[in-house]
Amino acid sequence: MTHRDVAHALALCALPQMGPVRLRALLGRWPPEEAWAAVRSGRALTDAGVRERLVHAPAPLAERWRSASASIQPELLLRQAHAAGISVLLHGRPPYPSVLVDDPEPPLVLFARGDLGVIDGRRVAIVGTRNATEVGREVAFELAAGLAEAGVRVVSGLARGIDGAAHRGALVANGAPPIGVVGSGLDIVYPRESARLWDEVTARGLLLSEAPPGAPPEPWRFPARNRIIAALAEVVVVVESRRRGGSMSTVEEALARDRTVLAVPGSVRAAASEGTNHLITEGAVLVRDVGDILVALGFARPSPLDAAGALGAIDPADRPVAEVLQRRACDLEALIRATGLPLATVALSVTRLELKGVVARRAGWIEYVGGAP
Amino acid sequence: MLATLSSATLFGARGRPVTVEVHVSPGLPAFSIVGLPDEACRESRDRVRAALLSSSLPWPLKRVTVNLAPGDVRKGGSGLDLPIAIGLLVANGALEPEAVAGHGFLGELGLDGSVRRVPGIVPLVDATSGDTIIVPAGCGREAALVARGAVHTVGTLAGLVAALRGEAGWPDEPPPPPRASMPGPPDLADVRGQPVGRLALEVAAAGGHHLLMVGPPGSGKSMLARRLAGLLPPLPAAHALEVTMIHSAAGVALPPDGLVTRPPLRAPHHGASAVALVGGGSTLLRPGEVSLAHRGVLFLDELGEFSAPVLDGLRQPIEEGVVRVIRARASVEFPCRFLLVAAMNPCPCGVGGEPGACGCSDNTRQRYVRRVSGPLLDRFDLRVIVNRPDAGELLGGGSGESSALVAARVARARGAAAARGVPTNADLPADRLDELAPITKRARRLLRSLLEKDKLTGRGLHRVRRVARTLADLAGDEGPIDEPHVGQALQLRVDPGYLDRRAA
Repeated sequence: MTHRDVAHALALCALPQMGPVRLRALLGRWPPEEAWAAVRSGRALTDAGVRERLVHAPAPLAERWRSASASIQPELLLRQAHAAGISVLLHGRPPYPSVLVDDPEPPLVLFARGDLGVIDGRRVAIVGTRNATEVGREVAFELAAGLAEAGVRVVSGLARGIDGAAHRGALVANGAPPIGVVGSGLDIVYPRESARLWDEVTARGLLLSEAPPGAPPEPWRFPARNRIIAALAEVVVVVESRRRGGSMSTVEEALARDRTVLAVPGSVRAAASEGTNHLITEGAVLVRDVGDILVALGFARPSPLDAAGALGAIDPADRPVAEVLQRRACDLEALIRATGLPLATVALSVTRLELKGVVARRAGWIEYVGGAP
Repeated sequence: MLATLSSATLFGARGRPVTVEVHVSPGLPAFSIVGLPDEACRESRDRVRAALLSSSLPWPLKRVTVNLAPGDVRKGGSGLDLPIAIGLLVANGALEPEAVAGHGFLGELGLDGSVRRVPGIVPLVDATSGDTIIVPAGCGREAALVARGAVHTVGTLAGLVAALRGEAGWPDEPPPPPRASMPGPPDLADVRGQPVGRLALEVAAAGGHHLLMVGPPGSGKSMLARRLAGLLPPLPAAHALEVTMIHSAAGVALPPDGLVTRPPLRAPHHGASAVALVGGGSTLLRPGEVSLAHRGVLFLDELGEFSAPVLDGLRQPIEEGVVRVIRARASVEFPCRFLLVAAMNPCPCGVGGEPGACGCSDNTRQRYVRRVSGPLLDRFDLRVIVNRPDAGELLGGGSGESSALVAARVARARGAAAARGVPTNADLPADRLDELAPITKRARRLLRSLLEKDKLTGRGLHRVRRVARTLADLAGDEGPIDEPHVGQALQLRVDPGYLDRRAA
């Protein structure tokens, strides 16, 4: 009765506070339908078989589950998910993705929207901080675009900052389809402003989540989501990260699974690159351009670096300003101090460089964005 | 017996003449005031009675009616105490009517018979008819600014009666407090570093461009803003009187010689209510901070902390230079041509836009900036980032240019604007920019490419051109506006949008 199993597994996921560990304890003890019956009767957590699999289970939880389960109709839930275009995959039963089957902590129930076939292919995760710098986003965008062009699927979390920029890059390249793994239900767009990005990723690639339809983006779901990103990727590229944070948890999950970790270096003064610089000292592979990632995947480096860079095209008069900005982001006053030029000259140079797209101004800070540094 | 005296009451920032009529007739002792008196005015009865008795002057045990004409204008404040008391003495026969003929009276009475000052002496004296105006002690200099005849100051009711009877001379006005008690405006030389902030300040002063400074706490935004008033030229006579009238009406302390000659700086706290900022009230329509900043500087520190309705109430006064306070019974206009300077933190944590340094998310930052509405933000021709100065600049390095030096350049630039027929470059009409502020071909090309790349809007273009004109004026450049000026003007206009193209 596969269909009934799927419906009941989905119903179990929809219970409050149902994380991967608790789900594994229940489904490890019983088949889905019996586990559901146990929840309904309120004895799900008192059973000895469950208790030995579950170290931490607060006592009131069984009662919460029991009362919540009274209003859940498994069959109806499944019909609603299908109506929303969401398919429910059970571990070990086709079409559950084979890459996740042997994972040490596979999601027992996985929700998908889009074409499941896109998982088959080379996959690289690009992750990083939500509070990224302009440079970080540009780099994530360019790396993702380069990978997609080379036929590599970009896996990321659709979050703000680096993740979103990576997905946008992958979409722009019009190459390999992108894969997004999110922390909320597939019908709950988070962050809200990324609604169009979600739609595009679904239309051209695949969206995955461990959270049932309707689940809000609860904080505890994101570390669990990160382990799926790590599990899906063959290599993980961190573009920008603070010393602690979500990206670092992805890195830990990746290392636990023997995945290669790559990191994009940043200025030693940039807080947003503290984490990635640290990873490099710990032995992560340094990423200068998309070629470095392709080499890590075993591909040949595509083309030699364009060494001339953007500086060649810059008016000699604007070069002093561009050179300072290449080293670090500055405000106007710091630029005046660093170049020793009068304000009028610096201001004109910044305006011209901005016009050429070599630098970008964001809330008064001027960053170098043009070409490879 | 009937006595008629002239006085005045405050209406907004102007005075209105009031005729005080006192009628004393036989009958049961009673005292009534008619002619729309407000509460302070009605209480006059008790003050007048006590003051007369304390001064050993007779209080009539008869029926007394005081009429304040014209009868349809609401009279406010306690400044009518003195004319009522004198009127009572005349009507009672204690003073000859000839002794007060041609006199105007203003002042509040104390219970001990002293004569106290009231707010608004300048507009009140301006409105009072009479060859001789009697004002409270200490108000002589202000009153003399607008008086058409003689001004006498009195400290006590008894002294006034004696002088009117010719028994004693007029008391002398006490000498003004020494000048040293009024510190001058702070000097720009105290500001170390901050080349961009200083330039923005100079441009704001020279061109009348409203200025927004964004920066972390302790970066010197307030320090800069408080020095702006010192860069503005002193007020010409006509403006000085205008400003003095408003300040006097609001009861703000005037300088020792009575006339406000320096452009005022008003810095209301961000808890200010809309009425406090724009003006209003119920009976006494009071000028708000925007009018007190008339011909001077209005400094709004922590702009992001002001409530949104209060800020949006500023838009119309900024645009029109006048506030109309309209109530059911009356409406009054207060002038408010001021230079707006505002300061705010870039985000709630204050660290600001330094890439990667601030812990605030993009969303939090956007929400913070959005508290200031787009239309208001648009009024700022100059928007600069002010960051904490470098340690080297704080400790070493010479002091910056003094206010006097900068003020000289500002005066020259304002002269250039006056030659174009506008008070400042910010007032250059958009349709005459090509004629009054032409630009070179190079500069035009730069502006065109910015427009084509959507880095500048049409409205922004006009503002940039006006600021560029001011920059050229400050540099003593009389030719068309060239590229460096345009480049600088653009860099003095930080984009308030924290959005960027690709990432959400």
